Amino acid sequence: MSELWAFVTLGFRHITDVAAMDHILFLLALAVIYRLRDWRDALWVVSAFTVGHSVTLALAVTGALVLPTRLIEFLIPVTIVATCVENLVVRRRRGATGGGRYRPVFAGVFGLVHGAGFANYLRSLFVDRVALPLFGFNVGIEMGQIVVLLLAGVALAALDRVLLLVTRPQGVGAVRLRVVAVSTFVALVAARWAVERSPF
Amino acid sequence: MRALVAAVAALAAHPLHTTLTELRYQDGDRVVEVTVRAFADDVRAAVGRELTDSTAFGYLRRTFTLSDRAGRPLGVAWCGLRRSDDVVWLCLRAAAPDGTSGLRIRAGLLFDLYRDQINIVQVTARGRRAVLLFTRDEAPKPLP
Repeated sequence: MSELWAFVTLGFRHITDVAAMDHILFLLALAVIYRLRDWRDALWVVSAFTVGHSVTLALAVTGALVLPTRLIEFLIPVTIVATCVENLVVRRRRGATGGGRYRPVFAGVFGLVHGAGFANYLRSLFVDRVALPLFGFNVGIEMGQIVVLLLAGVALAALDRVLLLVTRPQGVGAVRLRVVAVSTFVALVAARWAVERSPF
Repeated sequence: MRALVAAVAALAAHPLHTTLTELRYQDGDRVVEVTVRAFADDVRAAVGRELTDSTAFGYLRRTFTLSDRAGRPLGVAWCGLRRSDDVVWLCLRAAAPDGTSGLRIRAGLLFDLYRDQINIVQVTARGRRAVLLFTRDEAPKPLP
């Protein structure tokens, strides 16, 4: 196996493992408001998250930015709760501030926090030659995110079908119900993590 | 609902469970030198005691295997433990008079501790580099 592919594999396996549940839940919170036909909007948001995530990962791993681990570990679930709250509060996206276009900015800023979460581990182990592991790991992470999002899209579409049976047949209620149910659940889990990891 | 939230929350462990091993074949001495980098907390937890040369060597001998083409384990010698911030460096040496051809390796560190553990082994021999990844329950692999 080539060195680059080894680190791609490491990043991919890490993000698709259930042990990385905080990252998976954040992606789910980002994606839950979208239907399959909104894939362009979802792609913008996730791309912004990826950019933010990559920037901090690079800065922190190379030592250009030193961030306190405990604070970052606390802020990661806080970003998840904030995303869920936004999902719950904003009912009409078209009428929201800037037509809801602030969401990629949110995702980019939150991505900055999540990228720092990995950085300390990579920097500790790959002290002398960090460029290749960093690049490969990041590519693997992004590939894993795409897989997680595709699976989430399929699962959410299936959930909509189930919810359609218990709500009105137009489907509008089903999507809202899905957003509320998933966001509430994810927010509760993340809030618990935030309390457990609180540095204060 | 509370039970489900608690169950999912228990999966929050986001740390990257990995170790990095560098294996170099030294042509002149015909020796394989192995350096393992791991998080000190993890190794301490796996060993179950304070990390000393003796406890670290004992743990490494149980979890890291290097064998010849007939499957016989190579005799390994301890070459030290070094700490640097939250990382420990563990060093082993083994005589390999016939080079690395036919040797098999298994880096099984911390598999007893973490289900998602992945151990990376970077092999450098005769100017060539290659990487092996080990996950739980994987058998020994031939050195490239």
